[in-house]
Formats: sequence, C-alpha cells, structure tokens
Amino acid sequence: MVVTRQFEGRRWTLPAQVYAAPLELYAGLTLGPAEVTHELERLHYRKVAQLDRPGTYRVNGARIDVALRPARFADEQRNAQLLSIFTGAQGIESLGDAAGREVPVIRLEPLLIGSIFPSHGEDRIVLTPREVPPLLPAALKAVEDRRFDSHRGVDPQAILRALWVDARAGQIEQGGSTLTQQLVRSYFLSSRQTLGRKVREAIMAMALDAHFTKDDLMNAYINEIFLGQDGNRAIHGFGLASQFYFGKPLAELDLSEVALLAAVVRGPSYYDPRRHADRALARRNLVLQELAEQHVVSPAEALEAARRPLGVSARPAGAYYPAYLDFVRRTLRRDYREQDLTEAGLAIYTSLEPRAQDEAERALERELARLDRVRRRSGEPESLEGAVVVTTPQSGDVIAIVGGRDVGYDGFDRALDARRAMGSLVKPFIYLTALESGRYNAATIVQDEPVDLKLAGGRHWRPENFSREANGPVPVVRALAESLNLATVGVGLDLGLPKIAETLERFGLTPPPEQVPAMLLGSVNVTPLEAAQLYNGLANGGFRSPLRAVRVVIGSDGKALKAFPVQVTQVATPEAVYQLDRLLTEVMDRGTGRPARPLLPSGLVVAGKSGTSSDYRDSWFAGFSGSNLTVVWVGYDDNAPTGFTGSAGALPVWAHIMAGLGGSSWNAPMPEGLIDTEIEYGSGLRVLPGCSDDRVTVAVPAATQIPAKAGCGFNDGGHPVTTFIDRTQQWLRNLVH
Amino acid sequence: MALAACAAPGSRPSGAPAGAAATGASASGASQTPAPVPPPPASPARQFHLGSAASALVAQAHTQAASGEWAAAGATLERALRIEPDNPLLWVELGRVQLGEGNAAQADGMGRKALALATGDPAAQASAWRLIADSLRARGRNAEALEAERRGGSPTPQ
Repeated sequence: MVVTRQFEGRRWTLPAQVYAAPLELYAGLTLGPAEVTHELERLHYRKVAQLDRPGTYRVNGARIDVALRPARFADEQRNAQLLSIFTGAQGIESLGDAAGREVPVIRLEPLLIGSIFPSHGEDRIVLTPREVPPLLPAALKAVEDRRFDSHRGVDPQAILRALWVDARAGQIEQGGSTLTQQLVRSYFLSSRQTLGRKVREAIMAMALDAHFTKDDLMNAYINEIFLGQDGNRAIHGFGLASQFYFGKPLAELDLSEVALLAAVVRGPSYYDPRRHADRALARRNLVLQELAEQHVVSPAEALEAARRPLGVSARPAGAYYPAYLDFVRRTLRRDYREQDLTEAGLAIYTSLEPRAQDEAERALERELARLDRVRRRSGEPESLEGAVVVTTPQSGDVIAIVGGRDVGYDGFDRALDARRAMGSLVKPFIYLTALESGRYNAATIVQDEPVDLKLAGGRHWRPENFSREANGPVPVVRALAESLNLATVGVGLDLGLPKIAETLERFGLTPPPEQVPAMLLGSVNVTPLEAAQLYNGLANGGFRSPLRAVRVVIGSDGKALKAFPVQVTQVATPEAVYQLDRLLTEVMDRGTGRPARPLLPSGLVVAGKSGTSSDYRDSWFAGFSGSNLTVVWVGYDDNAPTGFTGSAGALPVWAHIMAGLGGSSWNAPMPEGLIDTEIEYGSGLRVLPGCSDDRVTVAVPAATQIPAKAGCGFNDGGHPVTTFIDRTQQWLRNLVH
Repeated sequence: MALAACAAPGSRPSGAPAGAAATGASASGASQTPAPVPPPPASPARQFHLGSAASALVAQAHTQAASGEWAAAGATLERALRIEPDNPLLWVELGRVQLGEGNAAQADGMGRKALALATGDPAAQASAWRLIADSLRARGRNAEALEAERRGGSPTPQ
C-alpha cells in the first residue's frame, strides 16, 4: 500500500545543527567561580546539592564539581564524566577527574546555537528510542491516547467520547484522534478539517497500525509532532522542543517538564508556555493529575511536580544569533546545496564564542540607545543602527557578529551587507605602504598642506582636514594619530594610487578599489566584515587569515565532511606591520582613539583607528588588543548624516566591547632590526628625556637618521654621548621591562 | 587569559608604547645634524615553552599524526593555539602537520608566522627556519631551502 511504503521510505529531513565553539577549561584560564558557573548555566547545567546525573553541578567553596554530559565534538565523542574545577583568585588553578587525577585541559560541550532549517520552516532533532525517557511515551498515552497499545489505529470509543464531550461543552475538548491519526495528519495531510479528510486519515492510520509496531509508531510520533513556533521556524519533535523550551536534552527533563511538553502537544500556540504561562501551567497540572490517576506516577510525585514553576528558559535556545548564522549559511552555500544543509543531518561546528557575542550585543544595544538620546532631533524618528564583528586575529576565527541593534531580528544583516564608505579606516594601509617603501618612518616629516588636484573633466579635488585647518610639517606619527587628511593625501599621492590599492588587495579587499584620489580618504565601500578582514591582517602581524565562522562540518555518520583549518599567508613584512601597529597604539594614546582610554582597563595596550565618512554618514572604529580585533560601524540605514565622528559614535561601543572581553595587551615582539627611539610628537625631532615634554616613543629601523632637537644633548657628530654608567642603566632598565 | 609562554625576564618586547626605555644619555653640546640611532642592544634571550594544557594537546596531536590522522592532529593543535596563540612552537607544530598533509604552501606560512613570533628565541627561530626549508624543498625550491636552512643555523639541541 502506498501509505505504508511512503511511511517506510520516509526519513525526516534533518536541518543542520549549528554549534558554538566549546569552552576550553585549563589551569591558568582567568575564569573565576562565578564565571564558571555562568558558563555551566548557559549550557543549562542544574545546580544541585548532590551530583546525581549528567547535567548537574555542585559548588563547594572554590571547588566546583560537574557531572559532564556525554558530548559530541567535531573530533571526539565523549562519555559522561565527572570533573572537579578548583578556582582561585587568578582563575582556574587546576582540574581533576573522578579519580582525583590531574586533567590538563578539557572542554565543555558546545552550545547549540541554532539550525539551518528549510524554507518550509520545519526544524527538528531526531531521537532514537534509547534517548527518550520512558516517562514521555507513558505520559503521551495517558493524555492523548489511552488505548494506544490495544487499538488498531483508530479508537471508536475515543471518538464517541469526544463527540459527547463536544456536544456538552460546545467546543472541542478532546480530539478523539489516536496518536497514529495525529501522526498521519502531520505526515501526509494538510490541516483542512473536512469529513473526507477525516475518513482518509482513519484509513491511513489503520494501514500504518497494521504494518508497524507500536514502538515504531510511538518513536515516529515523538520525532514528528509539531510543538512550537519561533518566527518562521517550526519546532518539530520532542528532542528539539526540549532544547527550545528548556535548553537541555530530553533525557534530563524532570516530571514537571515532561508533563509540560505533553500539555503543549494539544495546542502549541494556545498553550505556548512563554506567551500564555497561565494556560500552560493549568494544563500541565491537569496532565500531572491524569498521570497520577492512571498510576503512571504516584500522587505525591504529581503533587510535588505541580508545585514547580514552568521552568521554561527566557529565550529559546538557538536562532538567537541570526547574524552569525547568516554568515555560517553563506560560508556553506559555496560548498553545499541548500538541500544538504536543511535535510542531511549535518553538524556544523563554528567559532562563535557566546561570551564575546553577549558582550558585543550588550555594548551595541546600550551605546546606541545612549547615542540616540544625545542625537535625537525632531522629525527624525529613525534610530541609529550599528554592526559589530569580533575576531581572534591569529586564527581568523570570527567569534561574534551583531547585525543590528535588534540582535534577535533575522533580517537585514549590516555586518555582512551594509556596504559603507570606510573613511579614515583606509589610512593605516596608506602608511603601511609608506613604511614598506623604506622612504618613510614614524618620524618622517610630511606636509599637511592644502591639496588641489585637477581631475579629468576639468573638475578639482580639494580635500580638507576635519578641523578645516592645515598644520604644516608634521611627523608621520602625528599625521596618523590625528587622522590628518591633507598629510595623508600627500603621502598617498607620493606613493601612487596603484600601490595603495595593491596593499588593500593583499590584505583581502576584493575586488580591488577603484583608483581615484578620493580613495585616499576612504571613498572605498566596505562591509564591517570586510573591514574586519583588512584589520585582522594588521592585528596578526602582517599575516592574512581568511575570516572563518565554520571550523568543520560533520556528516550524519559522524565523519568530517569538510574542514576549514586555520590558514596564514604573509602579506606584509613583520617589520613594516610592527612599525604601523605602534603608530596605531599612539592613535589610542594621543589621537582620535583617546576617548576610549577611561573606558578600558588601565594598562591594556590596544591599537586602533577611527573612521568617519563625509558628512558624518558613517562612524567606524577598528582596533585590537593582543587577543581580539573588534570592528564597529554606526550609522543610519538610509545613509543620513549621524553627526557622529568615529570617535564619538563607534568608539565607545568598541571600548565597552574590548573592556568586556578582557583580553591581553597588544604585545607583538619587536622584529630584529627595529629599535625604539624618542622623538618630539609635534616636530618629529629626536629628543632625550628632559629636553622636551612632548616626547613619544616610536619604533624605527635601526639605521634611521633622525634630526636631533637642538640643545638636546647630542654631540656634534650626531651621536649621543653615552657613558658606561648610562649603558649600565640602560641594561638594567631592559631587565626590568 | 592565555597562558603566556614562559619567556625569560626582559623578553617582553621593548615595544611598549608607554615606558619604553630611551637610548642614549644626556651630555652637553647641541646640533641639528642627523643623529644615527645607535645599534640596538642585543635582544635578551628568551625561550618559549608550552604550558601544561598545550603540552597535553601537542602530545595528543603527535599520536594522531603518527597514525596518519592529519586533520585530527591539526584540529587538536588548533585547540592548543586557542590557548597560546602567540607561541611559535605551536605554529611550527601546526606547520609540520600541514606538511604531512601535503600542504607545503600553508606550512611555509606557518613557519613564517612562527618566525615572526620567535624573536629573541634562537632555538624557536631555528625550528621555524627548518620548517620553512622543508616546505620549500617539498615544492622543489631547493636553493631557497638551503638558504633557509643556513639562516636557521645548526639545529639547537634541546
């Protein structure tokens, strides 16, 4: 018969499940006890007095014992096991297993962050019968289909009872449908309520019942049935419903939680525990009462469970990092057909770090709200928008993406799609080109003076400084720190537009920018993600690593199908990039990045650059510590002027994120052949301590000739006089630093 | 949050924007003539080590590599790199795995990344150069390989 063949041949379409990066625990990790338990709670581990089953933890002073769940990683299947975490003032001090042996490193299971479901919206996690706690089928039978084990697919008694109840109550109280009929309806039929359909449903149910065991039918029901809606995503099956409502595996649910799911089956919208908590609670307790009456559980157990709150997580698990999932989807679209992603049961392991993602979301939401208050003008109801990309520069891992201030909104993804003028974000690449040429260094004097360029067609290009004033001769360090347009245009024209375009291309800009003079002031349009790719090379010492969201794709058989390993390609010399990065630290200490200083942990060395496009349409900040690169864009969707410079708009968002991430200082080793030297910030002349109060330490090639400031203690030959004592002091200082 | 490589005191790159030591000293007499910057003091030696977490992962990667599971070994080393991203020893390890997989161009990139991080540690620099040399040789660029080997000097016994 067609129906049974169809059923037999039917395999569920399995949307790809997407996982965040697992948190690695090891001695020395600066994660305090509160943060450790926060991470456990994020994975819905339950705090208990006595560890009884996987998914629980216990806190005993500075010691945290965890019953780890069995977990599947990209490269390993791990059984449930016990872990003891010993914390101290500096973070994790040591880890031990159940036998008290030292564990050097172990990871928590990766957080499920969503799935790639097909356009018809069905999302599910399929469970084998072994993964289903026996309580669930018992509860389903008790509530939905008491004679499931004995009837033949339809239950005339139940239909009669339903009709009688209907007539009495004047509304549908009992469906009268067996689980098998419900299954048929979900599988094969539209939801139109017609008599013809009812008859077909009954016939098909009887056919299925004749051909399959009750266990098969029950398992099919558990994986098939609709249990909730999340935007355009339909939650099917109890495996996903458990994650969706409670954020944990079905096997870990207690009686009250199983009863809630059994209650929701009847009307996932009407009994939605998030939107209609009262109704859901009432029906759950009805289910519990029924379970007690039918002796599935004891009356005492039912009573105890009925006293519990619903226990539903505030946000559904998954689908709440839409901008990140968007990037994942686009990455995989190159290699996979849509159908493979939505149906083939793939597991996708990504680089997303929930902690970083939370920081980025929080900072953007909060700062945009503040900026809106600063800026709100009458007749301008539109609110500011923004986007954030955070990476780990050394690996090119994208650890957070925010696509707009409404972080849960799965719509326009500004991090990937807002293509905006990069403004002064382009300047570091001009100065990098200058440093590479060997003709410039941090102390080189450049002319900040009016530029008048004749363009084709007799037009003129007359760029201006932000201050509308020209500063005359200034050293490179100041020109970049203060983002002087005229000086930069002069340097760029000296080097030639093709060279600058080529540098941008080397760092990953595709297609290469159009070679027009305005390019020198950032007329180049980039997305925040593209800006992050460019700056990642600066943060990574001149090595380009393709930004990646996906680390590996695992097939339904557990084998790796495609890996995206770390890649590094040298695209600039370490010497040039080091000199530039030092200049970018001066942006933070003296230039346009300075307002970030009070928001950052004191002593954290960071490097960065602001960007403001013409008429304040785009406010950018891109910068990095030793641990992370963050790029922030702030602007209006309709490209209206914001009134904010990069320093006023994007910078505070950036600073809050960097402070929240709490990484280490930018601390690249100085390449051999470079040397630190002190110059005067205003004049670029070489100085010694005591002869100028405007000194800045810059890195320059060792053989660099820098004019010395008069009266600054250099002898006539130009060599500073050093004595043995001075050299000794120098040596001691080196030891200390 | 990363475990720092156990570098010798003073090995912190002198590039701290604040507090970097000045070269030279005070004396009388002044001029505006160019002053060549004196040669840098020999950078103080340091030696990179692996922390215990990274060590354990490297050992695991070696086992995987020994049985030809290059991809798994690479994934394990990436875990170590997330813990110590600036440790040149790990980049050399990862480059060796790339070489084992037949990906000589990536091995070269990792060798150069290691080299950039290994400033001040002759032993780490030497193993980075050896990786670069092997990746060049794997691509038939024997003259360049010899030059890379020469720059790496003789292997430092550890």
